[in-house]
Amino acid sequence: MSFEPKILGIACNWCTYTGADLAGTTRLHYPPNVRVVRVMCSSRINPSFIFRAFQLGADGVLVGGCHPGDCHYNTGNLYARRRLAVTKKILEFAGLEPGRFRVEWISASEGNKFAEVVQEFTAQIKELGPQQKLKIDELQEKA
Amino acid sequence: MSRIGVFVCHCGLNIAKTIRVSELAEFASTLPDVVVARDYRFMCSTPGQEMIANDIKEHRLDRVIVTACSPLMHEHTFRKVIEKAGLNQYMLTIVNIREQVSWVTSDIEEGTAKAKALLNGAVYRARLLAPLSSRVIDVNSGVMIVGGGIAGIQAALELANTGKKVYLVEKNSTIGGHMAQFDKTFPTLDCSACILTPKMDAVLQHPNITLMTYCEISEVKGFVGNFDIKVRQKARYVNHDKCNACLACTEKCPGKGISEWDEGLVKRKAIHIPFPQAVPQKPVIDRDACTYFLKGKCRLCEKVCEQKAIDFEQQDTFIDVKVGAVIVATGYNLMDTSPLVQYGYGKYPGVYSALEAERLFNSAGPTSGKVTLRDGKEPQAIAILHCIGSRDKNNYEHCSRVCCMYSLKFAHLFKEKTSADVYQFYIDIRAAGKGYEEFYNRIIEEDVKFIRGKVARVAESSDEPGRLIVEAEDTITGKFVQLPVDMVVLSPAMIPREDSKEVGRLFNLSTDKHGFFMERHPKLAPLSTMSEGIFIAGTCQSPKDIPDTVAQANGAAAEALTIVSREKMELEATTAMVNPASCCGCQNCVRVCPYGAPLFNYEKGVSEINEALCKGCGLCASVCPTSAIIARHFTNEQVLAEIEGLMEF
Amino acid sequence: MSQAVTPYLEMSQAIIEAGGEALKKCYQCGTCSGTCPWTPITNFNIRKLVRYGQLGFDGIEDFMWGCSTCKFCVDRCPRGVELIDIVTAIRNVYSGGGMLPQSLRSFVGSLAARGNPWSGDPAKRNDWAKEKYPLYKKEMEYLFWTCCTICYDPRNTRLARATAELLNQAALSWGIPSIDVNCCGESVRKVGDLELFERLKNTNLNYFQANSVAKMITVSPHCLVTFKKEYGEDYNIVHFSELLASLIKEGKLKPKKDFGGIKVTYHDPCYLGRHSGIYDAPRDVIKSLPGVELVEMKRNREQSMCCGGGGGGLWMEKLKGERLSDLRVEEALATGANVLATACPYCITMFEDSIRTLNVDDKIVVKDVTELLLESLEINIDEPVGDMCEIV
Repeated sequence: MSFEPKILGIACNWCTYTGADLAGTTRLHYPPNVRVVRVMCSSRINPSFIFRAFQLGADGVLVGGCHPGDCHYNTGNLYARRRLAVTKKILEFAGLEPGRFRVEWISASEGNKFAEVVQEFTAQIKELGPQQKLKIDELQEKA
Repeated sequence: MSRIGVFVCHCGLNIAKTIRVSELAEFASTLPDVVVARDYRFMCSTPGQEMIANDIKEHRLDRVIVTACSPLMHEHTFRKVIEKAGLNQYMLTIVNIREQVSWVTSDIEEGTAKAKALLNGAVYRARLLAPLSSRVIDVNSGVMIVGGGIAGIQAALELANTGKKVYLVEKNSTIGGHMAQFDKTFPTLDCSACILTPKMDAVLQHPNITLMTYCEISEVKGFVGNFDIKVRQKARYVNHDKCNACLACTEKCPGKGISEWDEGLVKRKAIHIPFPQAVPQKPVIDRDACTYFLKGKCRLCEKVCEQKAIDFEQQDTFIDVKVGAVIVATGYNLMDTSPLVQYGYGKYPGVYSALEAERLFNSAGPTSGKVTLRDGKEPQAIAILHCIGSRDKNNYEHCSRVCCMYSLKFAHLFKEKTSADVYQFYIDIRAAGKGYEEFYNRIIEEDVKFIRGKVARVAESSDEPGRLIVEAEDTITGKFVQLPVDMVVLSPAMIPREDSKEVGRLFNLSTDKHGFFMERHPKLAPLSTMSEGIFIAGTCQSPKDIPDTVAQANGAAAEALTIVSREKMELEATTAMVNPASCCGCQNCVRVCPYGAPLFNYEKGVSEINEALCKGCGLCASVCPTSAIIARHFTNEQVLAEIEGLMEF
Repeated sequence: MSQAVTPYLEMSQAIIEAGGEALKKCYQCGTCSGTCPWTPITNFNIRKLVRYGQLGFDGIEDFMWGCSTCKFCVDRCPRGVELIDIVTAIRNVYSGGGMLPQSLRSFVGSLAARGNPWSGDPAKRNDWAKEKYPLYKKEMEYLFWTCCTICYDPRNTRLARATAELLNQAALSWGIPSIDVNCCGESVRKVGDLELFERLKNTNLNYFQANSVAKMITVSPHCLVTFKKEYGEDYNIVHFSELLASLIKEGKLKPKKDFGGIKVTYHDPCYLGRHSGIYDAPRDVIKSLPGVELVEMKRNREQSMCCGGGGGGLWMEKLKGERLSDLRVEEALATGANVLATACPYCITMFEDSIRTLNVDDKIVVKDVTELLLESLEINIDEPVGDMCEIV
């Protein structure tokens, strides 16, 4: 059986989650691997959410927010952008492959883009194979 | 131990086609704390709703999970259902298996597996949900309208007639806006002043309207139902309480300023009313043109004023206004076309902007309604150039929507008032509107020449000094046209007011890249904004004509009324709170919050959140280094549990 | 005979695939054709070319070669259509089909066989230098990129020598390329032969790489634009007029000779102005010359009119009345100028021709700003006339 990755999506309510709904309304098919958690704003995303997902065996994490400047809460995604950039660095420092964590700005009207990003990201994660660097049982085995 | 009920909707075949719904319900019943799990054809139907209500009672459920369409569709519906059945409405979780599973997946195995994972996450999260109490606040019944053009005037009158208190704020010394500058309006050719000035007077006379001219917004605090707005009354140097509008001062004044009203085509006095029917009919002094302010001597106006109303010492003052809702109707500008050197605006005297042309037709205008050039001669040939700066990626990509129609109106008026040949250089004629195509036909029959091609250059004629040559390709024949004319009228892009970004910042409105205000939803909420209680109307949202502007103004008035007609209103309970025991006092939250909701309590050394201001974005919770801030309904524990649930399958 | 046509979308697709993606954006407003300097004087119509391309209609063979890639339309286009890409793509599709016009065949043939458009012997590329000037070596600062036109065209070899002398005057460390290089490929790219362009480009890239070239000086704005935008490398490259302006500003070159009140007008080459955004440097050079009054033509800077030499135009025969360079020379004469200055070898060639055919060589002369500066430094490079004849 081919490798089916588990990918966590975290989407802000106003843009990316709505964009994902739009992908559905327009019946765009994309791989089922991304499971989305809804938060009100990408700025709500605590880096621990992402670390935890990788510990639990997520093969990839995709974060979606409003385009910089278009945040429903004015400036929230600008903070998110900086925090997620640092998060990415820490993840890579901890040994995670750079391709496993991705941030995309997808507006409520970009159903297409949501579907495309999921398609592309899923393919990329499949290429990378199962994530083992941060997964807890793997770590315990090593210890 | 919680008691969870799971309700899986088929949505006809919308969900059931790519997800095995009964298998999903069976799966749900195996999950921790789930005491009942069912599937049903239409969960949002009355029988579906009753099923949920009955199960809540029968199985003593304390949490409900509805596995159906997007929460953006029916979260509200199901919250009401469980509330009626005695549960707190925040004990509901929606699992989106339609928009984000069945509609985007073709394989039933894949669809079912993904739905299971999402449901598992929801169960994990639901176990940690806590009841929240909604906030109820008093609503102020007043409305502020910003901008006294036709949109603001219309909305003010509508609202005032319902008995609500209205504050109409205008930055100029008169209301009326651009519409008051027009001579005729398309397509009916109504006299603009004849239909507008009665409304302007009605505003002045209305007992429920406080007219605040020569005023600007300086600060906006508060939130829907309770805005607290500081308005700056700019110094007029005339005490309007004393002034009896005799206007003797304006006759004597030697100062000369540029008439904004006449688009700079003529001068006006330093102490002035902008135009004869201005409302209010009371003058202001333009400091930059006043001899006394410039040279320290004169004060002629003061000498002739019997009312002793002139006050050179007057200062700006601030007025606090409390309202429940706001309508922003700040209107538009025309683009300055002088940087587009190919059209020669500002270089050749024969090139006019559309608003300048409007003034030439107007009997109260600089030429008393005679169409003459700057040298007093009547033009023999006139070219009207469409899409100057509009539909142009180098400037403004949008279509300004009204230019085709007013250009046709111009052609008619030129034909009526002169014997000139009139040419329209256009790309497409956009005449979508009631009576518009008919008007277009009428103008064609008036023998106006239409040349389909965007003008590339306006140059001086080398043979006939003072004449202009308009160069374009007639794309229909492919011929290169060089047309000698005396007058060129540019139809420039309609753009937002120069201060629209500033106004947007004050009212927390988002703007597009050019500065037009963004509506909450382009189709279903065109007058609301992302800021609750703040509405937009007219051309500050996008270019539009007078009928559409008036319709929007009425709509915005009705929207504002839905807020201020209530005495109390409920707010979302999903706000942030601070656990004072873990707050380290770093004030990160205070710094990042765009709404000023967290405040630092210096006495206790901890942050506190003003729930009335909090919008629930959760930003503060993520910047809090000690996790002292809890984002209700999206707590760290709740989100982490959901992630754990999702990753198990 | 039926007059009906059917859109031939395969053709339109072929144009898109050859780089004419921008076809899709055009809404046929006519800004380009109204702006294009050719529209009033020839049957070339850029808007029509795009329209025919959009629908794949045939019948464009007659006028598709008219564009001189001056970029005026691109700058004005309200839809952001890259019209030059469309022209290049259409020419590529058609020349691939063997539709190259007669006058361009020898030009393309020479480039293919000899690596330069002037049918010059590749071995004699550096003969203009008469071994007076050094070949580039790694430790040198600048490579003085000698355009084919200044190597082979007799009028323009003067510009090559003027440039070399000024480089020496400024005591810069520089050298010219060996005969292993060939044409930058700009014109042939615009004529649509993308394959040949790639070949020429790779030859030069090999030379640059082998000799670790990092900094370059060009006198032809066409080479400048091509190296900057089409070679995919990030060279530190200046147009010689920019370098001159800064050398004058720093006091390293000091104009001496007083020209005694002559009037000079400056023609903005399209590839230096609109393509590269350089308008002030050449004017600064002219303004630094004592006794020179700079007068502007009506159309200048961003609004400047093309000489007609770009896009392969230099090698095409044009009928009298259909030459932009004639109109431009007339515009220059109208200013009362004695000198028509410019900063591009193509413009020089075009104007020299027009001045001769218009019979106005007693009224106006064409000079590169480099030549004017050299003159003001009182350096004479015209003495060894005899030698020069031998080279030619």
